Amino acid sequence: MKNSDKVKRAAAFYVSVTVFIILLPIVLSYSLGYRIDYMASRIYKTGIIFIDSNPAGAAVYVNGKEHPNLTPARIEELKPGTYKIEVRREGFYPWEKDLVVRPNMVTKADRIVLFPLTQDMKKVNDLEVSDFAMSDKGFIFYLTPSGLFRSSPDGSVLRRLSKYSSWPKRLIAKKFSPDYQKLLFFNDRTIGVINLTSEGPRSPIIDEARVDEILTSQDPVVDAFWHSASNYIIVVTKRDIKVVELRGGGTRNIVSLYKFRVEPESVFYDSSSDLLYFTDMKRGPDQRESRQLYRLDLRQKFFESLMKLILRKEIESGDERQ
Amino acid sequence: MKDNRLYRRIFEIIPGLLTWATLIGLFVLAFIKPVWVAVFVITFDLYWAIRMTYLTLLLVFAYRRLEKEKNIDWIRRSEEAGEVDGLRFGDIYHAVLFPVYKEGLEIVEPSIMALRDSAYPKDKMMVILSVEERAGENVWNNARMLEKKYRSDFSAFLITRHPDDIPGEIKVKGANASWGARALKEQIDSMGIDYERVVISCFDADTCADRQYFACLSYHYLTNPKRTHSSYQPIPVYNNNIWYARSVARILELGSSFMQMIETMRLEKFVTFSSHSMSFKTLVDAGYWPVDMISDDSAIYWKCFLHYDGDYSVIPMYVTVSMDVATERGVLQTIVKQYKQKRRWAWGVENFPFVMMGFLDNDRIPVKTKIRRAFHLLEGHYTWAVWAIIITFVAPLPIIFGGWIFRQTSIGYNLPSVSAALFRISIITLVICVFITIKLLPPRPKDVKPQKMLIIIAQWLFAPVVAALLGSTPAVDAQTRLMFGRYMKFHVTEKSRKSVEPRA
Repeated sequence: MKNSDKVKRAAAFYVSVTVFIILLPIVLSYSLGYRIDYMASRIYKTGIIFIDSNPAGAAVYVNGKEHPNLTPARIEELKPGTYKIEVRREGFYPWEKDLVVRPNMVTKADRIVLFPLTQDMKKVNDLEVSDFAMSDKGFIFYLTPSGLFRSSPDGSVLRRLSKYSSWPKRLIAKKFSPDYQKLLFFNDRTIGVINLTSEGPRSPIIDEARVDEILTSQDPVVDAFWHSASNYIIVVTKRDIKVVELRGGGTRNIVSLYKFRVEPESVFYDSSSDLLYFTDMKRGPDQRESRQLYRLDLRQKFFESLMKLILRKEIESGDERQ
Repeated sequence: MKDNRLYRRIFEIIPGLLTWATLIGLFVLAFIKPVWVAVFVITFDLYWAIRMTYLTLLLVFAYRRLEKEKNIDWIRRSEEAGEVDGLRFGDIYHAVLFPVYKEGLEIVEPSIMALRDSAYPKDKMMVILSVEERAGENVWNNARMLEKKYRSDFSAFLITRHPDDIPGEIKVKGANASWGARALKEQIDSMGIDYERVVISCFDADTCADRQYFACLSYHYLTNPKRTHSSYQPIPVYNNNIWYARSVARILELGSSFMQMIETMRLEKFVTFSSHSMSFKTLVDAGYWPVDMISDDSAIYWKCFLHYDGDYSVIPMYVTVSMDVATERGVLQTIVKQYKQKRRWAWGVENFPFVMMGFLDNDRIPVKTKIRRAFHLLEGHYTWAVWAIIITFVAPLPIIFGGWIFRQTSIGYNLPSVSAALFRISIITLVICVFITIKLLPPRPKDVKPQKMLIIIAQWLFAPVVAALLGSTPAVDAQTRLMFGRYMKFHVTEKSRKSVEPRA
């Protein structure tokens, strides 16, 4: 290697080492959130606020002062404390919040949705509606005084499915069955099911959908759920838990599975595993009554065996009566 | 040399252990101390960005030197040097040894033709083809045909067959090369030439030397006051089939050429690589190439270093020898081929236990030299095995496994952007690599379309992907094998120019 090369190489080497030694503390302290106050000759901790909005491109104000960057904006070198952040964009409602900046931490407000000042509101169609239900399959079902209708989500392709019009008042909920073939609706006394697929031939006389009032309860209904098999409804009243079987002719099977000691405070049905959670009061060994959480397993296998047992009992009782 | 199996095993384990301790340690720490890993990654990224810039500068220096020395008339310069330490230009004989395994005529003959076209007087040149006996009759017949065809062009043209199963030997190129060198010794003895007047060049079968190579080598040999205490290293370029090779292979081989050019600027670490030259006297004194090591090219340097008690160096020569890019028809096959070739190169880590055992046995080498050289050797292999994995795979670990709290910290938030910013510095290196690639390219063959040049330029965009895939993994593989005592067998990188068809 020539001497000139040696000198150049040595220079490059020592410059590189020097650059590394100088840059390393700067890069690391920057990354860790430390800043140097050269005037006061001290290092202090900072935090970061990250703001993003939908739509992006909104102005950001920190304690009333406009930040140079529009959203998504990264506001750095903030000393720990509380900052009033405003996000503004013309034609949208402003967003504002007090955000706390902690040392060496990032405070994120990155899911801000700015709502437009002028709302885009339209009438879906001219039907007089008692109630309605939205299906995941892309239909709106209208429960109207002149029957049951169905349309596409924008209100077009309107079609009457049934002439049934005696809808119960003040419906608590409408729930589609897991197979989307039926729609359950109920208020505190009446439970009905709309069969959305016609079993007979298509004709202008026969309704495409059939509405069945399946139960009128003496006790106020708290909630009702579809069993995953789509053929059973679990009805929770203030007094008990019932199962209503939909399929089959003759008398509808209605079985009371459990009687509450006191009316349940809360009920939850896990449709993925057919488990019903509810609260009830029970007396403990110390004779003290307390509210506890219970779980009723309504999985298919257990459920079918239960229904068979009931059926057998019914037959036996019928034989005895004969 | 101490025959201490335990020490040798310890030295075999150290490189792999360091590599795995680093990689596993970083992986585990990414879960329990993500901030530590993030600090390490940023420090490493900065170190790597500066190192890349520094090495790129060295590459530019080396390239400028190569360009400058390309136009030197080495014969005239050697003649002008006159007699140096009892040697004149006209006294020097060049012996070129080709250890041949299964390479066909289309590979070996162009290498001999390049010698014939050399600027150096042919009556001072000898050629030895040392053919592996196990390669079969066909290869031997090829050697005989070449001898018949070219023996009149050179002072001597020897062919010899290296038998299998010589005690103490394993199936490696070094064993064949040593066999050929011993045959040459007989020839030199019969010609009555002093060993110091003979310079031997051990070339891979596909090595085509530059026209000025032997003149340049003669000048360096003549003027070097420690001519027998030096090896002479040209710059390997892979131009023979570069226009026909797959991009992934081209990137890797060009990267190797560039690294070799950079090494010429770092003499304190410089070690012989691939095709190289040395005094025949040195070779005989040091006991020829090792017959039981795969990395014979670098091992011969360490053998000489130990033989001369540390007083041995490599003289860089800014003249090129051209070899074949290891390529295949398909991309996947090319990647596999390249992986195996790089793993064989990375098996050079076997030099570490060899050198350390030599150091333990040799009290005449200064301790400072031992520590420095051992560190360079270990650091080189260690960095090779970890750099691409740290940059590509370890860097995102704290973000992935560091948890929600880490992601809320400034360093967790800044890590990707700081790493990306430092990584962008490597674009400068890529631009310079593109420039030097274009300058080093041989003329475009007529059957290659002009737009191929665009592919050769654009290929560098894939360099980070290729580096992530093949940058470190072969070295980890080699070190792991050595660590567990699963010694590698010599895997010949098949060279076949016919197998690669021209592509646009």
